[in-house]
Amino acid sequence: MKTKALVLLALSVLLAVPGQAQETPRVGGVLKAAMIGEPPSLDLHWTTAVITQQITWHVYEGLYTYDRNFNPIPMLAEGHTIADGGRRYTITLRKGVKFHNGKEMTAADVVASLQRWGKMATPGKLLWKDVEALEAKDPSTVVIHLKAPSGSLLYGLGRPNNGAAIYPKGVIDAAGDGQLKEFVGTGPFRFVEHKPDRHIRLARFKDYVARAEPPEGYGGKRTAYVDEILFIPVPDVAVRLAGVETGEYHYGQQIKQDQYERIKNLAALEPRIVKPSFWATAVLNHKQGLMTSKKLRQAFQAALDMEPIMVAGVGNKDFYRLDGALFYPEQAVWHSQVAVSAYNQKDKQKARKLLKEAAYTGQPVRWITTKEYEWMYKNALVAKQQLEEAGFKIDLQVVDWATLVQRRNKPELYEVFSTGFSFQADPALATSIQCNWPGWWCHEEKERLLAETVRESDPKKKKALIERIQMLFYEDVGRIKFGDSFSLDVARKELRGFLSTPELFFWNAWLAR
Amino acid sequence: MKVYLVRRVLAVIPVMLVVATVAFVLVHLAPGDPASVIAGPYATADDIAKLHHQLGLDEPLPVQLLRWYGRLLRGDLGDSIFLRRPVLEAIADRLEPTLLLTTFATLIAILIGVPTGIVSARRHNSVADQSFMLLALLGISVPNFLLGLLLILVFGVWLGWFPVAGYVPLASGLWANLRSLLLPSLSLGLVQSALIARITRSSMLDVLREHYILAGRAKGLPERAVVYKHALKNAIIPTLTVVGITFAILIGGAVVIETVFNIPGLGRLIISAVLRRDYPVIQGVVLLIAVAYTLINLLVDLAYLALDPRIRYQ
Repeated sequence: MKTKALVLLALSVLLAVPGQAQETPRVGGVLKAAMIGEPPSLDLHWTTAVITQQITWHVYEGLYTYDRNFNPIPMLAEGHTIADGGRRYTITLRKGVKFHNGKEMTAADVVASLQRWGKMATPGKLLWKDVEALEAKDPSTVVIHLKAPSGSLLYGLGRPNNGAAIYPKGVIDAAGDGQLKEFVGTGPFRFVEHKPDRHIRLARFKDYVARAEPPEGYGGKRTAYVDEILFIPVPDVAVRLAGVETGEYHYGQQIKQDQYERIKNLAALEPRIVKPSFWATAVLNHKQGLMTSKKLRQAFQAALDMEPIMVAGVGNKDFYRLDGALFYPEQAVWHSQVAVSAYNQKDKQKARKLLKEAAYTGQPVRWITTKEYEWMYKNALVAKQQLEEAGFKIDLQVVDWATLVQRRNKPELYEVFSTGFSFQADPALATSIQCNWPGWWCHEEKERLLAETVRESDPKKKKALIERIQMLFYEDVGRIKFGDSFSLDVARKELRGFLSTPELFFWNAWLAR
Repeated sequence: MKVYLVRRVLAVIPVMLVVATVAFVLVHLAPGDPASVIAGPYATADDIAKLHHQLGLDEPLPVQLLRWYGRLLRGDLGDSIFLRRPVLEAIADRLEPTLLLTTFATLIAILIGVPTGIVSARRHNSVADQSFMLLALLGISVPNFLLGLLLILVFGVWLGWFPVAGYVPLASGLWANLRSLLLPSLSLGLVQSALIARITRSSMLDVLREHYILAGRAKGLPERAVVYKHALKNAIIPTLTVVGITFAILIGGAVVIETVFNIPGLGRLIISAVLRRDYPVIQGVVLLIAVAYTLINLLVDLAYLALDPRIRYQ
């Protein structure tokens, strides 16, 4: 009897220990994710919309992706060699990788995809300025010839937003100059159906060939544990939360931060802080109108007290960080405190003095913002009050997002507009410092430094260049950074293995019941 | 009767023409365009301009309008920019949820509103009458989205009796369909029932004071027959107008409620289309709603004819 009890005890310990240490993922189930809306397109080359990326990168993959420190690592590529003084990249493809249409991926598909991406996508066009030629050397080798060495090529190829997805050549040919007609990739999930305003259904791709390395950041082994993912557009934020609470959805994105404490007290739910997420910003118009005056821009920067602005936008200290750096502390290689003394000056006296020097006589500063993203409106509302106390006259124009996006391209229509800059792994590709983007912060020295940053592959030298750009950012007041902002997502506790990162993904996640 | 019907149907054509033109001009003059939305937040002005050209949105507005008229004459509402399918197909796909939602909501409004109105009129100035009318006043004042969120909280989240959002098609089973539509129908119907109750009450009060009612009572007709056979038949005409308007209002109300309850109906379609500036869809749905309003008005007028023979001679 005693022996039997001992054996049972030993068995139970043996069985219990692995369970406690690491849960075995469960295969199966339908994961339902409540999204903020519908993607404007399912063609990743076609749009910079974040929601398109969040859904479609379960379906499409690129040659590279990022590790946990946001460094590029191979995904569909096996590896690469660099020759000709950094101007020739020979990329070897993984063999046996299949598209969802059953065909094997070859260099011809990669060349067609990269050419289309370089022609069509916003980051693609930026990188393609330096590409001289692209060739399929053999079915599993692609060679990229550059005009000059590049420190950004692999970052660009790994970028998820508007990313360099690899599609089958046949699908690209069928699309012509338009959008894709079929949604075929190599990812762990395949596209099944899109029923607008109902769902986008993805299903596990049974012939998926995963990488051998363990999961690492966005890369390594990707496993589709759930049978299906339903991305359901749920525009009302209260309903997204209520749906996760009642178990109708397993995950809900962008919940109001003031619900954080409540969610923490609900046994079935887990609040997920997405950190870093984006920086809240006011973009100044450098091309036309009042803000072309550097002194006015400096007065604008000097007058602001960022704490109340960020509190108004997100409401809870867990969801913002007052940091003047252009890149996040999570990007340890690029984060720097150089010149940030100009951030968060809250010096109305200085602002008044600068306004006087700029001979400002109370002309209205037109600031376009939107209530569609409530934080933008609230940021602007508090900033307006602070600026008016310093002597500015602010004409706050509240419009819907589509109107804001259109108006910001017309320099004659505004002095300032609200937006957010989402996380970017490669500083050289960050919208926050680009010249050819609304606001048009074009500065001779900055452009030269930025061009060097694109070419530079030595991280130390690249960081030095970024620090000089950051100095110029504050000296010339490129944009106004309010602060780092974090989003709140909510997940049910049965959703396991799910990591909250700047980019949403559900591979390697499973449903415990 | 036939002449009247033909005249009424023909009168619809100029109305539709005006609605179609106004819808087209308004949506195109509104700021924002689909190209900016498709290109996303980080696209450059050049990217957006290129897309604009690809979508044919850089042509002069009159050219675009004429092209749209041409298609309309062939019964073609054009293709959705975002859904990349014909607008008619997209609308047909969304009809079921909206029709069922508005029908249920109208039924709820009638089933609650008419009896409440009758009881209030019969017990004029009683506690019951005043309580009903106070509730009706509250009902009219509450926005339906607020009522919707309240119902979600109570019956969805706290009690867990109904799903908080989503739509189950009729083909998946009647009960599942009803469960998915009950809370949204209530949010729409309760508010409208208040209006119907008030109109029924005041109309019944007017009729109950008529001499023929007095005569009916004097000759010893049972009260039930007086109220339901003689009074209600005459008092129901203004209510019928309100029910007609209610149905039309509910199509508008569905825009909000479908968004709150995540129902993929016409309301959601038009909200998404407006936010994305999907011009052909906005124009198509506006035209369809205008047709629905006109048809409902026509049906209400025809119902008058059936209910009150005097109208035929006017």
